[in-house]
Amino acid sequence: MKTIEALTESFNNTLSLEDKIKDLRVKAFEDFSKVGIPNRKQEYWKFSDPSVILNLDLNYNDSTSDINEEYDLILYNGKMIRNKIKCKTGTVSEGILNGDINKNIFESKENPFLNLNNAFAINGCYIDLEENSEHNIRILNLVNNEGDGQAVYPKIIINAGKNSNTTIFEEFRVTGKGTNFINSVMNVFINQGANLEHVILDDYADNTYHIANIYAEQRKDSNFVSHNFSIGKKFARRDYHIELAEMGANCDLNGLYFASNEEHIDHHTTIEHMKNNCTSNEHYKGILGGKAVAVFNGRIHVHPDAQKTDAIQNNQNLLLSDDAIIHTKPELEIYADDVKCTHGATVGQLDDKAMFYLRARGLDTDGARRLLMRAYVGEIIEKISDDRIRNEMMDIVIAKLPKGEE
Amino acid sequence: MIKIENLHVEVEGNKILKGINLEVKAGETHAIMGPNGSGKSTLAQVLAGHEDYDITEGTVEYLGKDLLEMDVDERACEGVFLAFQYPVELPGVNNTYFLKSALNAQRKYHGKPEIDAMEFMELIGDKIKLLNLKESLLKRPVNEGFSGGEKKRNEIFQMAVLEPKLALLDETDSGLDIDALRVVANGVNAMRNDDNATIVVTHYQRLLNYIVPDFVHVLVDGKVINSGDKNLALELEEKGYDKIIEEAKA
Repeated sequence: MKTIEALTESFNNTLSLEDKIKDLRVKAFEDFSKVGIPNRKQEYWKFSDPSVILNLDLNYNDSTSDINEEYDLILYNGKMIRNKIKCKTGTVSEGILNGDINKNIFESKENPFLNLNNAFAINGCYIDLEENSEHNIRILNLVNNEGDGQAVYPKIIINAGKNSNTTIFEEFRVTGKGTNFINSVMNVFINQGANLEHVILDDYADNTYHIANIYAEQRKDSNFVSHNFSIGKKFARRDYHIELAEMGANCDLNGLYFASNEEHIDHHTTIEHMKNNCTSNEHYKGILGGKAVAVFNGRIHVHPDAQKTDAIQNNQNLLLSDDAIIHTKPELEIYADDVKCTHGATVGQLDDKAMFYLRARGLDTDGARRLLMRAYVGEIIEKISDDRIRNEMMDIVIAKLPKGEE
Repeated sequence: MIKIENLHVEVEGNKILKGINLEVKAGETHAIMGPNGSGKSTLAQVLAGHEDYDITEGTVEYLGKDLLEMDVDERACEGVFLAFQYPVELPGVNNTYFLKSALNAQRKYHGKPEIDAMEFMELIGDKIKLLNLKESLLKRPVNEGFSGGEKKRNEIFQMAVLEPKLALLDETDSGLDIDALRVVANGVNAMRNDDNATIVVTHYQRLLNYIVPDFVHVLVDGKVINSGDKNLALELEEKGYDKIIEEAKA
């Protein structure tokens, strides 16, 4: 319970800060406190025990420093330190006050980490992409903790106006020697006919505990394409909650996850098919080495009104060692009768025949392995439509491939 | 170039090769013929370094070195090339990228720098014509969706690019129509010179009309029962394996 007390004290300290949404934050912290940090007895946390966080001493960290890198937007420990985006932006509290952000993002949900993030939503930022606009935005979401026991709560809210067309590249970089607890949230609202492509790349320091939640709410004929390149660490989890709230909406969730040594990586995705003629297409692939543990839980919930739903889910896993573990689970809940839902999960090793073939042409074991893994990850990377990002990602991802036994 | 002495090979306790002796000199082409299950493909696989086989007896000397001590990739870099009976499909691995990776791996082994991009494109441009392969196959994943004939031609195309010293052709003729057979044979023949050697493993004499061997060996039940020149292949074709086996026993 040390952590809850520390969190409460830390939260109380933030009440002296000059934000104007304290009432919302206080309510959010109350909602969080009622539940506290969940444990693995709860189905949703069965394979990823968040109580590891309870051992940490957590203080709110919003310190910043100058970073001079080529990004349009830089968040440093959750605070905007650079903003070159050519559209309306501001802090969360500004957005709430001027009405750009709907207060309902503060509504309590079952997820305690959403409530906790809201309780600390002092800085954060929102991006308001106007109707019919086109944008290509590069974001650096940087967390730097040099001391132990620091907690950071980054929050980004994106409002994609009607028929807007946007590509966002977000690097989530964690640096510093200290133990990092990061509880991040992204809220995305995609209005009618809008297209949003979001590429997120993790680059974490070793002592990283990251619980990330991405919420997307989609209107009629909107399109959300997500490419998630995540790396396991002490504890890494990224959940997607997608609401296809009006007819004709589509979402594509593409993901690659790597973990080695004793790292832990978890993805829980939920796609709510709420209205008719919506489509979703999910493809996640993992590569695991050492004693890594990965979790993939893909939930598709087809509501009674969601006739003509077309949902595809696929999770593939490549295990490079005998000790790596994957828990993969599709979860389909279907309440409409005229729907098409398919799902598949595979777990395998590198193909011996392919390895022999490559080595018989002169590639050494490591080279042959890398070539096969390159092909394996290429299938996901190729789905990125932006040429520059796709090419960059290929090189970055190849450099991060797990080594196998480690 | 290669000297095989008293080679015994088992797989999962089953004796497949029971004392093979064979010497191939530079500039020579040898054909290994035999009925199904005689061990001829095993011989090709063992020489290439497949790890599923247990070598229980015998030695293989290749260019003065102990071949059996080398790993698969080391053998390839030292110039041993196996044209697979069943080429492996590699989904997602671009054919050109694959070839370039293989060539550069071999160059690295010999302490040479990576091949220049232009030079590489010229090289494959020349070789692809030799094998009459469609250029579009270069952009596709290795062997995926290739016809049987295209797969076999792709093997010989790889061989033409990698320029091995010892080529092992494992049933390269199977699945080829007569036109493709001619193209493949022309490709192999164009590469023959005084410094390299070829071992052709085949069930049928047909291929040997196009790739004319200097020596023919008949392999039955893991042993060479008869050796001769190209006429032995014709005799086999005429009489069938049973007759030759009978004569050998007599």
